[in-house]
Amino acid sequence: MADRRHYIGQDVLRREDEYLLRGRGRFVDDLPTPTDTVHLGFVMSPYAHARIVTIDVSRALAHEGIIAVYTGDDIAKLVQPIVAEIEFPGYHRHGRDVVARGKVRFVGEHVAVVVAENAYAAQDGIELVDVEYEPLPVASDLETATQPGAPLVHDAIPNNLIFKGQFSTKEFAAGFARGEHVIRERFRSGRVAGVPMEPRGCLALPDHVGDSIVFYSSTQIPHLVRTALARCLDVTESRIRVVVPEVGGGFGTKAQIYPEEFVVAALSFDLRRPVKWIQDRREELLTDIHARDHIYDVEIAFDDQGIVHGLKLSLWTNAGAYSTLPFGCTLEATGGARMIVGPYRISNYAYETHAVATHTCPSGAYRGVAQPTCFMAIEGLMDRIGRKLGIDPAEVRLRNMVPTKDLPWVNVVGVRYDTGSFVESLERALAVIDYAGFRARQPADRLVDGKYRGIGICSFTEVSGTGAPGWRARGLVRMPGFDSSIVKVEPTGKVTAYVSHANGGQGHLTTFAQVVADAVGADLADVTIIEGDTGATPYGTNTFASRSAVTGGGTLIRASTKVKEKMRRIAGHMLETAPADIVIEGGRAFVVGVPQVGLDFAGIAETAYSMNNFGLPEGDGYGLEATDFYDPPLVTMANAVHIVQVAVDVEDGRVEIERYLVVHDCGRIINPMIVNGQIHGGTAQGIGEALMEEMVYDSEGQLQNATLLDYLLPTAEDVPNFEIDHLESPSIDAEGGFKGVGEGGVIGAVPAVVNAIADALAGLGININRKPLRPALLVRLMREARAGRPAA
Amino acid sequence: MKPAPFEFLAPRDLAGVLDALATFGEDARVLAGGQSLVPLMNLRMVRPAALVSINGCDDLDYIRVEDGRLALGARVRQVQAEESVLVGRECPLLAAALPYCGPQATRNRATVCGSLAHADPVAELPAIAAALDAEFEIVGKQGTRRVPAESFFISELANSTEPGEMLAAVRFERAAAGERCAFLEVSNRRHGFAVAGVALRLRLDAGGRCDFARIAMIGAGPVASRIRLAEEVLIGAVVGEAAIRAAAAAAVAAVRPPIDIHTDADYRRHVLGVLLKRALRQALEARPVSGEGAP
Amino acid sequence: MTDTVEVTLKVNNRKATRRVEPRLLLVDFLRHELGLKGAHIGCEQGVCGACTVLIDGRSARSCLHFAVAVQGADIATVESLGSRDALHPIQEAFHKAHGLQCGYCTPGFLATTVELLARNPDPDEAEIRRALTNNICRCTGYANIVKAVRAAAAMRAVPGRAA
Repeated sequence: MADRRHYIGQDVLRREDEYLLRGRGRFVDDLPTPTDTVHLGFVMSPYAHARIVTIDVSRALAHEGIIAVYTGDDIAKLVQPIVAEIEFPGYHRHGRDVVARGKVRFVGEHVAVVVAENAYAAQDGIELVDVEYEPLPVASDLETATQPGAPLVHDAIPNNLIFKGQFSTKEFAAGFARGEHVIRERFRSGRVAGVPMEPRGCLALPDHVGDSIVFYSSTQIPHLVRTALARCLDVTESRIRVVVPEVGGGFGTKAQIYPEEFVVAALSFDLRRPVKWIQDRREELLTDIHARDHIYDVEIAFDDQGIVHGLKLSLWTNAGAYSTLPFGCTLEATGGARMIVGPYRISNYAYETHAVATHTCPSGAYRGVAQPTCFMAIEGLMDRIGRKLGIDPAEVRLRNMVPTKDLPWVNVVGVRYDTGSFVESLERALAVIDYAGFRARQPADRLVDGKYRGIGICSFTEVSGTGAPGWRARGLVRMPGFDSSIVKVEPTGKVTAYVSHANGGQGHLTTFAQVVADAVGADLADVTIIEGDTGATPYGTNTFASRSAVTGGGTLIRASTKVKEKMRRIAGHMLETAPADIVIEGGRAFVVGVPQVGLDFAGIAETAYSMNNFGLPEGDGYGLEATDFYDPPLVTMANAVHIVQVAVDVEDGRVEIERYLVVHDCGRIINPMIVNGQIHGGTAQGIGEALMEEMVYDSEGQLQNATLLDYLLPTAEDVPNFEIDHLESPSIDAEGGFKGVGEGGVIGAVPAVVNAIADALAGLGININRKPLRPALLVRLMREARAGRPAA
Repeated sequence: MKPAPFEFLAPRDLAGVLDALATFGEDARVLAGGQSLVPLMNLRMVRPAALVSINGCDDLDYIRVEDGRLALGARVRQVQAEESVLVGRECPLLAAALPYCGPQATRNRATVCGSLAHADPVAELPAIAAALDAEFEIVGKQGTRRVPAESFFISELANSTEPGEMLAAVRFERAAAGERCAFLEVSNRRHGFAVAGVALRLRLDAGGRCDFARIAMIGAGPVASRIRLAEEVLIGAVVGEAAIRAAAAAAVAAVRPPIDIHTDADYRRHVLGVLLKRALRQALEARPVSGEGAP
Repeated sequence: MTDTVEVTLKVNNRKATRRVEPRLLLVDFLRHELGLKGAHIGCEQGVCGACTVLIDGRSARSCLHFAVAVQGADIATVESLGSRDALHPIQEAFHKAHGLQCGYCTPGFLATTVELLARNPDPDEAEIRRALTNNICRCTGYANIVKAVRAAAAMRAVPGRAA
């Protein structure tokens, strides 16, 4: 049939763009507010660990423009402590006051809330709250927090070990011993953060109906926020409607439920007034979740051919001061340990994994979630195997990969890979970048035109579309896993689709419309997507972890299909034809082979909505809509390869990326333009993470870089152009054949850039096992390696 | 964050500014471009009771040759100086360095004098000023004094103006005939705050020997200053690889680089030496100017 | 608290007078006094560029200016681009090149692009990337923004007076 009717796979330009380009996007701080709106300001602890001795709010209350000040004790009357709902052997449950009581556990933790007439007055009020602290000893990093006698972050959690998990295949030791060679390495990843351009914020408006509120929040998870608010405020869920405005970037940072959300909602109920809070950048950097403060102690056993016989991992993750909502600190600890085997046929595997409490900002889900670090480890090991045996590292990978003919395949931790292109994507990438040519020209000392030049590979799998079984496997017992939709043909024949996702820049209003238009047989222009509103959309797990194509696309196809079937029945009834002989396409239903005999959607809808004299077909009721709840498979595994060429300046250590290639397989692509955009953005974040981003705490738990002057983000001069190739291995387990792509860019970039630098410096025998790789570090390593040789 | 409250004054001329500063003393700050001051005010690290804006003072807006030097009034914006033909001709080093002073939006509004007064040792302009033997015209109600660069920068983020005084102009040494210059910096990303930098002016006589050298560095210490030990190595020498290495070694030995979030002292020291060598080689390749300035 | 002052600003070719505190940042004046919400706040330090507008035709951080201090200047925001019925060619170029995702940084990038093309109508890629260091984007990885600027230059976009 006419190809122009098929929207999936096309570069449809975004319908979101017009208003965003005009500056008319309504982000949370743009929303109009009633004149009686109050503004909140949070008093933050300047200490990483301290007892709160006294709080004197009298000066603040006396100040013009300050309406009230709430301490932790006041808030505790309105909000119960929040608890990450994780049930996992080896996990210590603990609660968190949304405003601290008695004790603070990280710099930036809230100790009081100022209620003011405007945002400027709120800042005035914050300064006038007098808090007396008794500082306590600090455990600020992974190494010191686990020492015997280290200060405890939570009295009930011994050794600050919030979580410990382990796993071993049967006969692990025997299998490991079959490898003639063993390499051990410690990979160290510095802490980073998502840093979306828009800080968070919320606005709670008492609804005109009874005692409800409409709660706007810059969040990725409206339903999960609503459930959490209902629980902790002890308010019926029906009285809270969470609406997601335009969101200025999420990246997983906004997929946590934060203390301020509880406070804003609680105070709106308590004061029965609109309550607004907008975060500033300093608060954002200090208190929005951090991630990837990880240590991987790995051992890999392999034979003379480079085939891996066993992998052993001890993973340490820094959880920060509290396990966050909703994912908790098992997220990174299980993620890194479970994903590390990647596309490789590793059947002997043992791990121990840990989440350690420290007096620092709590950690959570940032794009990639432990995959950038676990692939830094395994891909770094693949390179080391190659260097040790004198086999090209690309060849080592190919020898260990699961061949496509063996898929579907279940990996060693029980994750099923239904389809994939591990070998094909690597081979394609090697060909496109002329890897063989690069190696042929590459001298042993790597010095080319006055710089050390290297090439680095990351071949990886990417978890996407996690369903309930996937969350349970990581200890998350109350994470739903499904997403849902309602697809409706309106009386005028237009299509409205409600889906349990939330947009943060991914173009859902466009891509989901493409899916629905194809699935229901409508014209794209006639399809409207509504999401991010718990008052309008059915319940779901919402948007994070590269799930929207899989779960959103999946549920929309299923709901659309049900509606389409009903339209067939009604059209068949109206046209006196068997439903099986009705074709629905381009907004019309017609008899197969007789396109001139048909109805448009409006005609069918008239019958469905009882707006004409036709009756309904036998067995059908009124209305023209369908609801669907879709729980995707445990995970849907995408895969990709990043290959990077870098040049390292011999004297000043600066790194330039000379060529960047991605070969990506996210199954059936909905909108290639948007997929490429996701890869560009994620890769840029990965480049930043590999070369310049790191959150640094001192030994007193003070964050050294709580401004964007000091936490460096890449600019347009730090990021190269990208070459991107696609393969499509449609998922056979997930509806629609889609796989996620949102996180692939950052997952591949971190290891690929690190490996490229390691390759560039391999001629000097330098061991690269950490990130970020700033110029100062590289210069130090180069000078140490060259020690003893004449100065240049 | 939002700044603390203040009173705002916008005098029409320098005399009005000085009156206002005399009234408020220590509690007043001058507002020029605000690109260094307002970030601090937004964090409430600085909370003046009064802001005295010079943005309405046309008498502070000039770029001219005066007493043999290139004088820039306090209201001259960085982009203005960057695009000035006079600056390009008389102080090519300044023209070369200005594009590095910050992103475009900052340079469009920040003033040359404002950035100098901020006295940040990892900013570009203080080092440029040191290399150009700048003279700072400090004005108060009691009169005017001219202070050389060495005395103007006291310590990190502190200059020698007293309460009631302001930096009204800066006077740079003009490029001498035959002078060559170079400006280089490195950062932890391609474009951003310098971790280290070198500003260099150099002249060779007819015999190829150096008879004039000015070297100043970013990130060499708490205060921007000339690295005289390195200059002395060059004076009288034929500037070939040996002299270049010796000058770099002298500089590396002389500097006391700070440690901060961005890098450590070892790296700064090392890369300052690298940058000086590169700057010298670049200056040797550069076309000498045909200026008429001193010496 | 100090008194308020009367501030008159010329924004997008129209004069607006409001009574505000001297400490009110220009970005807050634009957003909350005039309802021009295209300029966004990302850091209040002048680093991220989300608040970038044009002051006297040059890009400037509206988070680092006080409304009271820019009286007499000509201020242009993203709302001055395009018309009711059509996007400005630069906006159109961003749209076609998929040069935006969340859109939060976009008005700032548009201001920077208007400034760039007014002064350098045919920039090469290095010049474009150098100019774009004026703003930070966390979503796009810049590749499509560079494409958009190149396309806008090729269209010989004439920014016009207000933009």
